[in-house]
Amino acid sequence: MTDTSLSNSSLQPETPLPSPARWVRDNLFSSVGNTLQTVFFSIVIFGLLRWLLGQVFSEESDWESVATNIRLLMTYNYPADQFVRIWVAAGIVFFAVGSSFAAWNINPAVTVRRLVVGFVGFGVFLLLCAVIAPSVAPSSIRNGMYIVGAVLAVGGLAIQRLVPAAHLRFVSFARLLTGASAVIVALIWLLPFGRHSFSDGELTIERGVSVASSTKVPWTVLFVVLLVAFFGGRVLASRFASVMRRALIVWWVIGPAFVLFLVLRDPAFDWGRVWSVDVPIAAAFALGGGALLYVLARPGRGDLARAIGALLTVFAIFNWVAAFAGWYPMLQKVRISFLLIGLITLLVPTFAGERSARIRLAGSWIGLVVIVHWLLTAINTESTLVISAPPFLGGLVLTVTIAYYVMLASFPLGVLLSLARTSKMPIFRVLSTTFIEVVRGVPLITVLFFFSIMLPLFLPRGMGISDLAAVFIGYTLFSAAYMAENLRGGLQSVRRGQYEASDALGLTTVQRTVFIVLPQALRVAIPNLVGQAIATFKETSLIAIVGGFDILRIANSTIPNQPDFLGQKRPALLFIAVVYFVFTYSMSKSAQNLEKKLQAGQAR
Amino acid sequence: MTIADRALTEELAGRKDMIVCRGVKKWFGDFQALRGVDITVKDREVMVVLGPSGSGKSTLIRCINRLEAHQEGSIVVDGVELTNDLRNIEKIRSEVGMVFQQFNLFPHLTVLDNVTLAPIWVRKKPKAEAVAKAMELLERVGIPEQAAKFPGQLSGGQQQRVAIARSLAMEPRVMLFDEPTSALDPEMIKEVLDVMKELARSGMTMIVVTHEMGFAREVADRLVFMESGEIVEVGTPEHFFSNPKEERTKLFLSQIL
Repeated sequence: MTDTSLSNSSLQPETPLPSPARWVRDNLFSSVGNTLQTVFFSIVIFGLLRWLLGQVFSEESDWESVATNIRLLMTYNYPADQFVRIWVAAGIVFFAVGSSFAAWNINPAVTVRRLVVGFVGFGVFLLLCAVIAPSVAPSSIRNGMYIVGAVLAVGGLAIQRLVPAAHLRFVSFARLLTGASAVIVALIWLLPFGRHSFSDGELTIERGVSVASSTKVPWTVLFVVLLVAFFGGRVLASRFASVMRRALIVWWVIGPAFVLFLVLRDPAFDWGRVWSVDVPIAAAFALGGGALLYVLARPGRGDLARAIGALLTVFAIFNWVAAFAGWYPMLQKVRISFLLIGLITLLVPTFAGERSARIRLAGSWIGLVVIVHWLLTAINTESTLVISAPPFLGGLVLTVTIAYYVMLASFPLGVLLSLARTSKMPIFRVLSTTFIEVVRGVPLITVLFFFSIMLPLFLPRGMGISDLAAVFIGYTLFSAAYMAENLRGGLQSVRRGQYEASDALGLTTVQRTVFIVLPQALRVAIPNLVGQAIATFKETSLIAIVGGFDILRIANSTIPNQPDFLGQKRPALLFIAVVYFVFTYSMSKSAQNLEKKLQAGQAR
Repeated sequence: MTIADRALTEELAGRKDMIVCRGVKKWFGDFQALRGVDITVKDREVMVVLGPSGSGKSTLIRCINRLEAHQEGSIVVDGVELTNDLRNIEKIRSEVGMVFQQFNLFPHLTVLDNVTLAPIWVRKKPKAEAVAKAMELLERVGIPEQAAKFPGQLSGGQQQRVAIARSLAMEPRVMLFDEPTSALDPEMIKEVLDVMKELARSGMTMIVVTHEMGFAREVADRLVFMESGEIVEVGTPEHFFSNPKEERTKLFLSQIL
């Protein structure tokens, strides 16, 4: 692919830009009323901006409170000597991001003109800020804004002049990614951010230099990893795109758990027990279950499969009852495995088929067993890493982790709930409606309190649950109820003819739902689902109430209590507002791109 | 009874029954859509159902593959009676293809995926075989070059031909057509009718609800005229267009011819 190619020729060419003066006249001063509005809202906006700048540069705002506490905000009190784990984890995530960009061939059609508009707009904004900033702003920063703003505005206009037909030229994603990474790395190395260290209760600040190399080098490596993964991934994707996508989907589902429980936490495996207990159990379920599925998935054995599946499921549920009654001991993972094999056996007739289909089914089961057993073992094992506060995670890492896993887990649950609510079977409908309405009628805080404080009281002896897991379960159920309602709108938009056509072809209800109804419903529901994902991300701040140290709590109560920064709330809160915005804005932006892509696929 | 009628009756009598409806009654709430329909469709027969709108002709064929459940009477398709037993319904649905007025293609799947989905998941065919068969069928309906497109990118006539190919991919014993050309622009009707004619000549058992008299005259073995949920008259095209017996049939034909 060439760098500024015309390969997206299917897109309509954009109309040429009108002259700025013309645009201003047509849109801002077209009539008396319009002019009055423009003047009024300009005054309001400038006033707000000036006030905000005043807050940022106020003498009472000690930005060193943020600069010193960046690590605290990001990872809370993760031991400094173990910090390399954080970098490795971040490196793994960056690698996955880069490969995913390549595997899904992300290439938003960014034209040179759009880039120029962005540059000039940002440049003008900076100039404006420099002009209206109140006098408390240090002159060095004001001058810096003048220079950068002017360079961006003039440079942008120069590009517009120099590149012919800028609105038809596309900037490839490879170039954008490389450029953005280079700018970030350059900023890290060149910006006189200062060195802040806090050791033995002693705060030392070295001004006028760039950050310490213990920050610079890892970030540089991270961006190199990102680019290597992207360009390497592109080479791979040109031949193995579908395999790569499948592997990456699996990675995005279980990979974060791997990072969390093996890289960040370093579990203390009792290897003797792993080999004598865990591995044999996993192998028995993987091989036994795989063989069972392989045999039952032969076409024509549907009834037998249903019967065995029902038996296994009933047995699995009985095991849980027995656990609560304390009749006989059984490892938790055995109970879970029985439930899984039972449910999947029930589904076998739907996915039965020729030899290749059966091998795929058995293979998927073995993969599932390996993953589930590994997760159950790794999560339930002690950690060798000593962290000097009760929660294992904190800061932005906690926020992101909880948000990510809540979204991931509440999605299938929400799908099931919405299907149950729209199903013809009254029992499912009533149960699901009751659940959804009860959960939606209760504030999230109540749900979190219930799960972190009440739930452990209901558990049978010997069955414990960590605070984090309790919060996660409660939040997932809460989020699933909302997810279900958003999806219900999508389900209702699927036309009746689609159901009739699927029925007329002889698809079973499960097949109809999986292949026909859900894909169309999800497509319609994307904007709502993204809205909910954003809300989920922001509302993770509520876990502070049940004892978690998330980014908001650190900014709001930890930093202002440090002796060096007593009462310093404002800078940290402004800072985390920016962090939240960056995350939520990129979520909604990528959802918009996804929507466009899906619509383009089936444009009328 | 004309000579043609008699010849047809004798010929059809020798074939086996494909669809047998006895006293089929169906209500939508208070409204009775079918008032005791008796009809037998023989193997390899092409039957065209005529009638004014609201006469119950669509309801009848929708009952035959259980998109609607009839309340009284019996429907037997290829020896299997339609009851609430899910197993029977699934079996019959995979034997009976249906083409809808509104095409009802799956908009999120390519043409090829539309055609191969059911053979792979219902008939459990290996994918390569299903794809080969699908391409053969798309060839047969004249649009193999559109396989990779999405339904929304095709014209109405092309979409309806894909819908026919999709049904044929299940290798059905019977094909039901519910006003297949009514939603099409006039210039696209012919391409769909040509496909249906070719299908009729190949010996497929078909029940076609349509207003296309030319098609009925050329292809049908028998015509059925329905009104108000009842069968008014059954006969050969020759009988219908030259010498219908019932007053109501005459009135209907005079209105549309």
